[in-house]
Amino acid sequence: MSNKMTLRAGALLAAAALLVTGCSGSKSTSSSSAAAGKATGEIKIWGHQGEQGEVTALQTAVSTFNSSQSDIKATLQLIPSADYTKTVSATKAADLPDVLEYDGPLMASFVYDGKLATVTGNVAQATVDNQSEATKAQNTYSDSKLYGVSMYDSGLGIYGNKKLLDAAGITYPKGIDDAWTADQFQAALAKLAPLDADKKVLDIKENYGGEWPTYGYLPIVNSTGNLVMKDGKALGSLDSAPVVKAVQQFASWRTYVDPNSDDKAFVDGRVALSWVGHWNYNTYAKAIGSDLVVMPLPDFGAGTKSGQGSWAWGIGGGSKNQLAAGAFLDYLMNDTNVKAMSDSNAAPPGTKTVLSTSPLYKKGGPLQLFADQGTKTCGSNVPTKACVDTPRPITPGYPVISQQFSQAFLNIYKGGDAQAELTKAAKAIDQNFTDNSGYKS
Amino acid sequence: MDTKSPARVTSPPTKRKATPRRDTVPALLMITPAMLGLLLGVVLPFLAAGWLSLNNIRLNSPRPAVWFGLEQYARVLTDPEFYRGLGNNFLFAVIVVPLQTALALALAMMLNQPLRGMKVFRTFFFMPVVFPMALVSVIWKLMYSRDDLGLLNALLHWISFGAIAPIDWLGSSSTAMLSIIIMSIWQGVGFQMIILLAGLQGIPTSLYEAARIDKASWWQQVLNVTIPGLRNTLIFVVMVTTIFSFRLFDQIYILTQGGPNSATTTVMYQAVTSAFTENNVGRGSAITVVFFVIVLAITIVQRRVLREEREV
Repeated sequence: MSNKMTLRAGALLAAAALLVTGCSGSKSTSSSSAAAGKATGEIKIWGHQGEQGEVTALQTAVSTFNSSQSDIKATLQLIPSADYTKTVSATKAADLPDVLEYDGPLMASFVYDGKLATVTGNVAQATVDNQSEATKAQNTYSDSKLYGVSMYDSGLGIYGNKKLLDAAGITYPKGIDDAWTADQFQAALAKLAPLDADKKVLDIKENYGGEWPTYGYLPIVNSTGNLVMKDGKALGSLDSAPVVKAVQQFASWRTYVDPNSDDKAFVDGRVALSWVGHWNYNTYAKAIGSDLVVMPLPDFGAGTKSGQGSWAWGIGGGSKNQLAAGAFLDYLMNDTNVKAMSDSNAAPPGTKTVLSTSPLYKKGGPLQLFADQGTKTCGSNVPTKACVDTPRPITPGYPVISQQFSQAFLNIYKGGDAQAELTKAAKAIDQNFTDNSGYKS
Repeated sequence: MDTKSPARVTSPPTKRKATPRRDTVPALLMITPAMLGLLLGVVLPFLAAGWLSLNNIRLNSPRPAVWFGLEQYARVLTDPEFYRGLGNNFLFAVIVVPLQTALALALAMMLNQPLRGMKVFRTFFFMPVVFPMALVSVIWKLMYSRDDLGLLNALLHWISFGAIAPIDWLGSSSTAMLSIIIMSIWQGVGFQMIILLAGLQGIPTSLYEAARIDKASWWQQVLNVTIPGLRNTLIFVVMVTTIFSFRLFDQIYILTQGGPNSATTTVMYQAVTSAFTENNVGRGSAITVVFFVIVLAITIVQRRVLREEREV
């Protein structure tokens, strides 16, 4: 009977072993075996199968690219989004297509494993120049090279229900400059609570799982003027006094938070404030119409900060036809394609030209805040008051950072000791980096 | 079993003893598929896990493995979190095994009554076993929700006329494990019940009739006929439940992710998150190897203590 145990564990690990040994055959490391080639011939493209509108926009882009010129023939293969990253991870660099999509925070891992080649020199300078500051920051690895271009980005903020805020006599911020401080935000919660039947007035998407805690709550750390790691060490940065204080304060708001198990807390009017990304805009706008207001996250000392980053496009590390791949990316990033994509998924456009004309994100548009946050990106530098959007840590060790931070954060949120939890997470992150020589070689 | 017995009767034992060698080749041939399955499915993966645990390996990395020796074991065995997980596994097993077995026995005895419509009841009690654990967990997550929208809290609120305030079932260290235990018993009890039910039906009615003639009370019948008659079945049920409870993972992964404050972390949960979330295959393997040794030891001890009565 104990065999059953072993069978399960063993089968999992055998699968892992197969993957590991299967991949170790290729010698490619950070120096990718890609070749420039000429801007002619056939190229293969891998994309994730997103929402129907996104798929249509992508398919249209590929077919119009093929009919617009005769030198390059592009073929698109869509992979279900749940399996997409796993598929790329399990494929040897040499077997990857010429053009591939990747989820923002995984760029560094793919570069480290030789699965992405730089786009610099392969795409036109005009394409690079037209990328928004935030997407450029997301797609730049620590060697300062650009490894991808983005059709769209993401934005994080707080949606407010104007009717409920007005009823409580609360003045709320209009943009980045007058963002609430953490204390002001707390005062607003305290003012809203007595008017609410169950005293729960804030939604932080407790019902989300996966990577959400890292995306949604890491800006709290950044807003104290700290990154997860400083000079290659998490100890002393992730568990520094300002971070401990900020996370503790956030945890103290739990009494005001609706667990939102039905994901309808905001649309049903149960809460006045919802801490979530741009993707909820359409649903929220439909539910409460002109009562919807969008605000930046509270400022924990070093200015308001926001998460960012989304799917982006890069060139396969083993591609023999990089210039042709670059030519396709140039085409994919033109205004027509980016606009079509942004219209379908309502995400912040990844290029400056479309961003400035998008009805949602242009000056005066309802989501101008997210565009403003994106123009002031901190990149991988230590966040200051002058910048807002902070990409998730750009390192091959991101999976460990994400797992350790999420676990520590949720433990603190449920009443754990902030200092102890953050120090434990920082130590685990540091040990992993030491084991892998800092993911440098 | 029935198909076997006539064969045994027709072939006299003396004949089999006379030519023992003739059976060897077919016997070996017949066990080959099973042995091959064991080798490929159990032995090799276990050896692979042993080898992986001695290396530093990132999942999906093209880099060669780096020899780590016993470092992963040293880390696992000095990690308080690992012992916390092990402790939770034991806590879960110590509560669930006796409780679930007793409950399953009670249910089986109730559902063994020769009444009309009993099949409907049996189906109802067995139904949770048919649902996948992932599905059950998602539903129970809604029931355990900490606001008054949570079904359990709403029910308590209603029957107590508002006296019981909403309880944070999964979010508080004191109730999280309890919530997991209750849900797991609800989901798992039907399986043991069906096995025990089959065992009950194997007890000859003549024994009960004899007991009644001896004027044995209902309770005496349970103690002296039912329990001894179910001995082997009960031992099997206890052992399987023990193994199942050490395997505890799905509910934890979906409902609490090991939290709050490690109150529900388990060894299996740690192994999976190490290997597949943090991509640290070496550590994940080391945890499973250590865990295998522990579970093996427990099973051996259990087998020694609860020796089955066998005729063969």
